[in-house]
This record gives sequence, structure tokens and C-alpha cells, in this order.
Amino acid sequence: MKLLTYIWRNVRRNKLRSGLTMLSVAFSLALMTILYGYLAMQAYSQREATKHDRIVVLNKLGFAAPLPIAHIGKIEKLDGITCATPYSWFGGNYKGQRSPFAQFSVDPQKVFDVYSEFDIPDDQLAAFKKQRQGCVADKSLAEAMKWKIGDRIPLEGTIYQQDLDLKLVGTFEAPGNTGSLWFNWNYLDEELKNSGAGNSGNAGSVQAKCTSAKAVALMSDEIDAMFANSDYATRTRSEAAFQQLFASFLGDVQSYIRYISMAVVFALTLVSATAMAMSMRERITEIAVLKAIGFSKQRVLALVLGESTMIAILGGLVGIVMGLGGLHLLSSVPMAASLFPIPVIELAGSWLWGLVAVAAAIGLVSGITPAVLAAQQSVVDGLRQVV
Amino acid sequence: MSTPSNTDPVVLVRDVYKEFRKGETVIPVLAGMDLELLPGDYLAMMGPSGSGKSTLLNLIAGLDKPTSGSVIVCGQDLGKTSQSALAKWRSRHVGFIFQMYNLIPVLTAYENVELPLTLTPLSRKQRVEQVKTALEIVGLGDRMDHYPRQLSGGQEQRVSIARAIATDPTLIVADEPTGDLDAKSGNEILELMHRLNEEFHKTIIMVTHDPSAAARAKRTLTMADGRLVSDIQNSTATGTTA
Ligand SMILES: Nc1ncnc2c1ncn2[C@@H]1O[C@H](COP(=O)(O)OP(=O)(O)O)[C@@H](O)[C@H]1O
Ligand SMILES: [Mg+2]
Repeated sequence: MKLLTYIWRNVRRNKLRSGLTMLSVAFSLALMTILYGYLAMQAYSQREATKHDRIVVLNKLGFAAPLPIAHIGKIEKLDGITCATPYSWFGGNYKGQRSPFAQFSVDPQKVFDVYSEFDIPDDQLAAFKKQRQGCVADKSLAEAMKWKIGDRIPLEGTIYQQDLDLKLVGTFEAPGNTGSLWFNWNYLDEELKNSGAGNSGNAGSVQAKCTSAKAVALMSDEIDAMFANSDYATRTRSEAAFQQLFASFLGDVQSYIRYISMAVVFALTLVSATAMAMSMRERITEIAVLKAIGFSKQRVLALVLGESTMIAILGGLVGIVMGLGGLHLLSSVPMAASLFPIPVIELAGSWLWGLVAVAAAIGLVSGITPAVLAAQQSVVDGLRQVV
Repeated sequence: MSTPSNTDPVVLVRDVYKEFRKGETVIPVLAGMDLELLPGDYLAMMGPSGSGKSTLLNLIAGLDKPTSGSVIVCGQDLGKTSQSALAKWRSRHVGFIFQMYNLIPVLTAYENVELPLTLTPLSRKQRVEQVKTALEIVGLGDRMDHYPRQLSGGQEQRVSIARAIATDPTLIVADEPTGDLDAKSGNEILELMHRLNEEFHKTIIMVTHDPSAAARAKRTLTMADGRLVSDIQNSTATGTTA
């Protein structure tokens, strides 16, 4: 019999107490897995975003300000630009739900050249290019919404005073789940013109592909210089910088996550220290017997710390698995997909070991006081408790 | 079986005083105790509750240190030994039997007996052998996988005897080993203690309230108020009569 066997039996001794401690560690670690998973996704997206040499052009005044469609022709003429598409947020309601997934108007002729890493079958792309009211959706979105090719997708305008009557003509696969639906920019614009609703001719933003990584920085400056004196001055960023800007709207998430985690870890340590102290209080005589038999202080210390650490690590592992499951769910729910676009498998990394270490640390720290008390406890006093 | 040729005392208690401090108050418990045990001795300690029997036993077993005087056991001056060295010393020289058996509830009979052996450098194979031998001596070879709660009080105490002898210690200390048992089980335990002394030449100190139990030891020592009242050699210590 090894000391580990004894520790394991002690863990299982009060199943309710150990179970509850494990559960509290598990839930907290699940939360932390999701939070840190979000950070890992940000980092992943950043790396991903630098791969494709794309730039994003916005009105200098920000997201909501319009960008004339005529800018696109001028941008595309530049030497460093391969192709460009308008990319405009529609934000429509679907079947009474408020904007349940992302919708963008794009140029069907160009968008799959700008997003050249996205896969779509040739015939479906051809249909998208040809059909004015055609739309394509991320495959995971289509699956989540149970759409089939040919389904009608009516969208009710919210930003624009214009409803759309779309038809799904294809689905695309992206490296992550974009959760997005793309439709023809011309369709929306023509309807806006016909109804005289105004605000037609707005590209929203321009997404353009550059010829090389080097061209990304050059083009950003060149485009902004070109429109500097026009009515619609621009602000151009690399895709990575754009994503960072987008993420920063959520505030200094990194710090929030750190503060929340620290508070959670602190609370948890107290919870499991309490549980451990209760367990040891019930075993004063037993510890005295062990020491009488010849257990050294170090061995008693190891016995108690081993128990608290084992409980915390087991709870932590359960929590991390739960958290990864949560991330998986989030990345497949259309509404959350834009925040959690990356499949969980892609995210596995050293940060997970970090979380296991956090769980182990919770166990160790929470065990220290009860362990030292047990190691210091007088044998004679402990034995006198019985008689 | 031959008697050990070595006649150096196993236990040598000289002018021992022991007092406990509770804040300002000092509780004197032992006031000038002297005691000598030769190898193979079997001593019963009697006396009213609170007379200091357990305190003396704890000093001899190296669980506590005297306030003054010396306690020398198996050649080791326990008062001058560090706590950590004492722990190691106990694991090699002393076997403990408690009134409430004090087995580890989450370990099987086998594992309980093995526990003190895990502190020794014995190989796994040697450990298995010694655990089995110890359990067979106490007649529980067929209960090795039982947990304490699956055993009767008498059986639990027999496991705890097996635990006490597994490391083959020189000295066995038992604090009221039959105090919590019915007459029949108590008798079995006394029978075993007698065998350990006769057959295996263990030096034994047993605290008891029961005069008939004390009568089965070789020597009976009576204490009162921390002092020796009498120390009698039992003439008919056959151990076979109850
Ligand atoms: N650790 C201790 N702290 C304070 N008082 C103690 C301690 N151990 C024993 N005593 C006191 O010493 C006296 C003798 O105790 P003990 O040796 O257990 O007696 P016995 O075993 O003969 O019944 C008692 O009055 C008891 O209260
Ligand atoms: Mg006593």
C-alpha cells in the first residue's frame, strides 16, 4: 500500500463533502476555462488575421458613419490591392427574434476572393453571383438554424427601413465559425433606391485583400491619404488591428478576466480550506495514532496536502472539461459565435495546463493550515481525546 | 523457546517527574517514579483513574518527555531525543495497542497492519510476508480484506495487535486493551498477549482496571497519585486461567 492509496481513500471518505468541494472547484474552473478560452480565441484570431493580408476601411468617424460605394473602385485600382468588397452590417430581425445572427451585405463577385480561405462549392458560388436575392451562410449557422439550400430567409430591417426576402443558395466553410450570413449588396441598395428611403450607396465598410504582407501597411496609409480631403475621409487598419479595435469595445477584458479569476480563486481556496479543516478536526485521534506509530511530521503534512490537492485537481479537471464543453457550445450557437468563433480543438494549449496548475495551487494553499496543524498536533493530547 | 541472554533492562525509569501546565496552573502527575523492566517482562499497571498510568506509559513509549528524571528504553535516552528521531525510534521499537483499537477506518485489516511497515525499508515482498504472519498469529488470516467496520470489537483489537507486532518491536504497550470488550473477547486478547510474551518474548506493559487481567501478567504494579504503591511478582502467571 502506498501513501497515495491512503490519500485516495481519505478523499472518498466523506463523499458528500469532497464532492461538494470538487463541484465548487469544478464550476469555478469551468468559468475560468471559458474566460481564458475567450482570451485564447482572441490571440488565435489575431494570429489568424495576420495571415491573409486583408485590410478594413472605415469612415474616419467610426463604424456607424457611411462610406460611399464609389470608394471601392478607387481602392481596387491601387497596385497593392487584389480585390475589395463592401461589407455592411444589416442587423435585421428574423422570425421575431432580434438580430439572432450576423448579416452582411457583400459583393458576391468579390467576397470569396477577399476571403479566399473560405470554401464554397463552385455551383453554389455561381448561384450566389447570379441570383439577386440569393444569400450564403456559414455552414454551422445553417445547421444551427436548420436551413436547407432553397429555403427562404426573410429579414426585417432595423437599421434600414427595408425588409429583405432572401433565398439560401449556398453554404461556406470558414476556419472558424463566423456565424454569418452574406447577401448581395446590390439587392439591398436597389431596394433602398426604389423605396426612396435614403441612405443608399453606403458600403458600410470595405474589406480588401492586399497582394502581400508588406502591402498591408503601405496600402493603409495610401488609402487614407487618398481620401483625406474628401467628404468621406477614411481610417484603414489591418484585419488584426481591426479585430483588436472590435475587441476593445468590450473594455479591458484581459484585466477584468484576471480580477474575476483572482476573486474566484481566493473564494475557492477559503471554501476548500474550510472543508479540509472540518475533515482534519474529525481525524485528530487518527492523526495521533499515525504519529504514535511513527509517521513523521512531513508524512502527515504530505497526507493532508495530498488530499486537498487531489480533491482540487479532480474538481479542476472536471471543471476544465465542462468549460471546454461550454466553449464548444458557445462557438456553435449563432448568437455567440462572433465572440467565440474558433473550434475548441484549435485552442488547446499551455493555458489549459495553467488552469490545472491553478486548481493544484488552490488545493495546496487550502491544505496548508490544516496540514500544519495536523503535523504540529500533540500525540498525547490527540490520544487523550478517546479515553 | 530460549530466554534472551541479554539482561540489560529494556525499560529504565529513574526518578521521573512529570507535570502538565495549563496556563498558570501546574498539574503534577508523576512524582518520583522508578521502574525497571528486563527483556521478556510482562507488567500490568493498575491504579485508580487519574493516578498517572497512561502518562507513565506514554513516557516509556516515547510519546512524551519527562519534566525531570530519565527514561531509557532499548538503550535510548528518550528525554534527550528530538521529536523527529523519537518518531523513527517508535516505528522500530514500540508496538501500540489502544483501548479503542484505533484502526484506520478507510484501510482494510491488511492495510492497517501494513501501515507501520511502510515506514521501514522492507521490500514489498517482505512486507506481505510480515503482514500475513502477524494476521495469522492473531487468527485473522481469513479477514485480511475486511474493513474495521466489518469486524467485531474483539476482531478489531486483534487486528490492532497484529499492527503492533508487524514490525517485530521489542516493547509492546497496551493502554486498557480489554477496557471496551466483553469478557469473552477480552479473554481472547489476554490470551494473545500471553502468547506474545511467552512465545515471541515481547516485553509488554499493559494498563488495566481488571485484577483478573492483571493476574495473568508476570508482574503487577500499582500506582496512586503518581507514585508507586506496590510492585508484585505474580507467582502463578500461567496465563491460562482467567
Ligand atoms: N496532556 C495533559 N494535559 C493536562 N493534564 C493531563 C494531561 N495528561 C494527563 N493529565 C492529567 O494527569 C492525570 C493523570 O492522567 P493519566 O495518566 O491519563 O491517568 P490514568 O491513565 O491513570 O487514568 C490526570 O489528572 C489528568 O487529568
Ligand atoms: Mg489512562
